[in-house]
Amino acid sequence: MARTSPLMIQVATGDPRPIGRQIVDAVRMKIATGELAPGDQLPSVRGLAQQLTINPNTVAKAYAELATEGWLEARQGMGLYVAAPRQRLSDDERDRRLDDAIGRFVNDVIPLGFPPGEVEARVAHELHQLAPRKRA
Amino acid sequence: MHSHDFVIQTRALSKRYGRKLALDHLDLAIPRGRIHAIVGANGAGKSTLFRILMGFMPPTSGEARILGRDSQSLTPADRARIGFVNEEHTLASWMRVSQVTAMQRHQYPRWNQQAFDNVIGHYHVLPEQKVGQLSRGERAGFNLALALAQGPELLVLDEPTLGLDVVAKRAFLESLLYSNAADDCTVVYCSHQMEEIERVADNLIILERGQLTHMSAPEDFTARVSHWVADVPFKGPDPRTVPGLLEMQRLDGLHHYLVLDQDDGFEHFLRACGARNAQSMPVSLDRAVNAFLAKHHAAPAAA
Repeated sequence: MARTSPLMIQVATGDPRPIGRQIVDAVRMKIATGELAPGDQLPSVRGLAQQLTINPNTVAKAYAELATEGWLEARQGMGLYVAAPRQRLSDDERDRRLDDAIGRFVNDVIPLGFPPGEVEARVAHELHQLAPRKRA
Repeated sequence: MHSHDFVIQTRALSKRYGRKLALDHLDLAIPRGRIHAIVGANGAGKSTLFRILMGFMPPTSGEARILGRDSQSLTPADRARIGFVNEEHTLASWMRVSQVTAMQRHQYPRWNQQAFDNVIGHYHVLPEQKVGQLSRGERAGFNLALALAQGPELLVLDEPTLGLDVVAKRAFLESLLYSNAADDCTVVYCSHQMEEIERVADNLIILERGQLTHMSAPEDFTARVSHWVADVPFKGPDPRTVPGLLEMQRLDGLHHYLVLDQDDGFEHFLRACGARNAQSMPVSLDRAVNAFLAKHHAAPAAA
C-alpha cells in the first residue's frame, strides 16, 4: 500500500514570498535534490494545510502549480505523486534561463575578488552536493 | 453575476456620527465562498459596517444586503444563516454555559452538536460555568463553537483572536480552517494581525476612511508594492513628484521608497532625478499593507 511521504518543510509569514510560493519552491527543491523521489506520495491538501496551519486553498493552489509544471501528477482518487522526471522546458528556454542565472551569479561574484579557479571549484562542489542521488 | 452570489453587498452605504463619516458611500461586494479578510486602520469603518450588516444599527444612507436580504429587515430565519463573533465575545454574562448552549440549540434548526463539541473541546469550559467567569480566550472559543454549530452559510468575525494566547489562537484558527462545519461556509473576518491573515485569507479587502480601496488575493496585493533603494545626491526629488509613493525614508544617506503599482519605469524616474544606482525588492504582506495604510493614516499636523 502506498504511504504518504512526510513533507518536511517550513513556511514563514512576513516573508516577501507568499506562503503558496514558499511551498512550490520547497517541493521543487526536494524533488531536485532527490529527497522526494518519483512515485512518492505527497500529503493531502488538508493534511499539509494542518501541518503548516494555513488555509487549505493555499496548498491546493501550490499543488496545482506544481502539477501544471509537471513536478507532480494526480492519480485518480489517490492523491498526488512526484512525477517521473521529464524535460519541463524547451531547449531554448533552458538555455535562456541558464544564461540569466550565470549572468546574475557572475555579477554577484566578480566584486568579491576570488580567483576564477576557486569559484569554479566551489560551484562544482555545490552542484555535486545537490545532484539527484538516484543515479547512485 | 447574480446578486445572490454575493454574501455581502453594499451600495453607497454611509454612516455619519456627528461630523465624522464612518462609512463614506461604500460600495462593496463580497462573493460567496472562501475566507475574506477585511483590513483597515482604526476607525476605517469595519465594526460600523458589521453592525449595520447584522442589523444592529441603521445606515445614514445607502443600502446593505447580507445573504441577499436587506440588513435592516432580517428575520430570525435569516439570522440563523449568519454566525457572528465579535471582539468582545459578548454573551449574557450571568447565564451558564449550558443555558446559553440550550437556548441556541433550541433557536437554530440546523444545530450541529458535533461541530459544537469539536470546537469547545479545545477549551477548558465547563457547562456549569457562568459566561462572566470565562476567560477571554474561553469566551472566544465558546462563541465560535456556538456560531459554527448554528450551521451558518456566512460567518462574520470581528477581530476574533484579539487578546488570545498562542494556544487558544491556534485552536481558534484550526477550528475555523479545518472543521467540517466551516466547509460550506463563507467567512468574513476582520483583523489587524497580518501574520494570521497571511495564513488564513483567500481574499484581502482594504477599507480606508469608510471606503473600499483594494480587493484581491493577498499575494496580488503584495505584488503591487515594491521597495526601492536609490543613491540620490542631496535631498532627492520632491515627494509630491514621486509616482505611486506610499512611504519615504532617508537612511544612511540612501533614499528608500515604498511605491504602489510601479514597474521598471520607476528606475528611469530615479535615474532622471540623479540617482547613481537604484535597486528594487519585493516586500512582505505586512509591510505592503502597512505602507498602504500609512499613506492615509491620521498623523499630527506637521510642525
